[in-house]
Amino acid sequence: MSDILWALFHVCVFPGGLFALGFALFLKGLDRRIVARFQRRVGPPLIQPLLDIAKLLTKETLIPRTACKSMFMMAPVIGMTGMAACAAFIPVPGVFDGMYMMGDLLVLFYLLPVPAIAIMLGGSASSSPFGAIGFSREMLIMLSYELPLLMILLTVAMITGKATGIGTADFSLLNIVQYQIHHGQFGLNPLMIPAFIAYLMFLPGTMGVPPFDIAEAETEILEGPMLEYGGPLLALFQIGTAFKTFVVLSLGVIMFFPGCLGDFWLVNLFWFMAKCLILMFFSISLLRAVTGRLRIDQAMMFYFKIPAVLAFISLVLVMIV
Amino acid sequence: MATFLNTLLQNIISGPATDPFPFGETFSPKRVRGLIRIDRDLCLGCGMCRHVCAAGAINIQRNSLGWTITIWQDSCCLCRSCVTYCPMHAMSIDPNWHSAHVEEDKYKRIEQHTISYQPCARCGTPMRVMSLERAKELYAADPDIDPEEIRHLCRSCRQIRDAEQSTVCMLRSDISTAPAAEKS
Amino acid sequence: MSLDTLLKKASVRSPWLFRINAGSCNGCDVELATTALIPRYDVERLGCHYTGSPRQADIVLVTGPVTVHMRDYVLRVWNEIPEPKVTVAVGICPISGGVFRDSYSIAGPLSRLVPVDVNVPGCPPRPQAIMEAVVLARSIWLKKLGLEG
Repeated sequence: MSDILWALFHVCVFPGGLFALGFALFLKGLDRRIVARFQRRVGPPLIQPLLDIAKLLTKETLIPRTACKSMFMMAPVIGMTGMAACAAFIPVPGVFDGMYMMGDLLVLFYLLPVPAIAIMLGGSASSSPFGAIGFSREMLIMLSYELPLLMILLTVAMITGKATGIGTADFSLLNIVQYQIHHGQFGLNPLMIPAFIAYLMFLPGTMGVPPFDIAEAETEILEGPMLEYGGPLLALFQIGTAFKTFVVLSLGVIMFFPGCLGDFWLVNLFWFMAKCLILMFFSISLLRAVTGRLRIDQAMMFYFKIPAVLAFISLVLVMIV
Repeated sequence: MATFLNTLLQNIISGPATDPFPFGETFSPKRVRGLIRIDRDLCLGCGMCRHVCAAGAINIQRNSLGWTITIWQDSCCLCRSCVTYCPMHAMSIDPNWHSAHVEEDKYKRIEQHTISYQPCARCGTPMRVMSLERAKELYAADPDIDPEEIRHLCRSCRQIRDAEQSTVCMLRSDISTAPAAEKS
Repeated sequence: MSLDTLLKKASVRSPWLFRINAGSCNGCDVELATTALIPRYDVERLGCHYTGSPRQADIVLVTGPVTVHMRDYVLRVWNEIPEPKVTVAVGICPISGGVFRDSYSIAGPLSRLVPVDVNVPGCPPRPQAIMEAVVLARSIWLKKLGLEG
């Protein structure tokens, strides 16, 4: 019984649920503020993402007459629940070991495309031509970043599996974190540096920030799949995106820099959050402030040429050495 | 690569360049165009401003007692034509640009002056009183004429008054009219 | 304070803006873009964000004198904006017709077609005046939600 209660606690409060949502919204507010400072602006208040969600919840819901109603309503729910489930598996080094009995890296890999699929479902169900364009673009960009992501995850699993002697690959998140805490972090391992760079390049693609915001290009196809969404349904999408921010950033931290500072849990928690923030600064905020938008074919070629090759180099190196 | 990182760093160091405006003070240039104003002492009601107004924001209504000149600020495109073409320089631009207002005030944002005729001090015909500045300017070369008095006279009485007082004027009229009279 | 009141109070701090160009000469549109893009004005400070979709908008800014050709499109897009919405007429054209008034091709002014809440005259208005209008629109939005701003 208490197992179920603990699982519920992990899904709803920590690390998933409230903690993930609050932290991700804080990160998003900070991101908007940092970009504003880069452009010599003041920027919105830090709680702006929270205010946006509160605003969207008070608005009325409009559903296009020609839309597929059930799918249109379901898509944001699918995206949000998929990512909320994902957030519960994330171990926070030195604080929480993660629900390792229930999920590992492979589950995360299966769940990570869920928001993108939800966006595609919503876009195609909205019956808008912009939604259809956004659908095809989102699918193309997803297909291009999934390949490097798979190779990065495989590389991390291989190196852990080899070291712990379980087999060829160990997908357990707990083992990955524990091994790095005792034997040095992967981010400092020369074999893994190409994979880390590839992961940094994967982040903007999956979060849909410039130069890879092609699917939701606001100035071009008017937010594409999001065009027909408004009110509470859009709020659900934003909550899903916030969970996704938390998941991909903390996945980066636990795969490459899960080190702890001492034994006290509060210090470790803040250290973990600080590392997420630094990762976000370099892979999202800095890029967002200085780049324009790529074309979809350019983005695809970029993902196949650079991150895929870098991840492949790491994979081969790990397999050989 | 180094160039844009350098720019970003400089942007961070020099801090935001934002005006604190909706919560604080902002700058306003001296010649910013905000509202059109009419000087009711100068206006002669000639209708030149209405004629040149591109946006049709000016209206003049005349009756036997005088005229009413109205500018609807919500239609004024601030082109400054009326200021340029007004022969009396009665139009001016107020730099107050705080123009946002609620819909109820839409027809209250007008500049309206009703100017009535006054009887001429000599003959009693209804006439427009000349402004003191204008009278002083016109009769600056003529110390004999009191501007305060002459501004209350109608056009023909003013000519008569000029003729009575000004010797220069009298001489000139003699010279110019004498041959014409002979011919006729 | 109940949760509902709290939500409503929070909601006016995130006004998303949507632009409708109803046949404008682009002067007012440039000034609207200025409020978002130029660091000196930075409308994002107020929590504003220019959306690409009318379904996400709270404050709709209409520029242009509403030409006969644009009338149906303006009405259609305006009806797609979810309630509560605040309509702002930017520039003299949507307010009174401006220099285009009484033309054969003008269906405006805007207040003949949809209920307008805030006017910002000017040709074009200053960016600061537009931001003043957004602040005014926020208080009107609060009134529409049933709270006195």
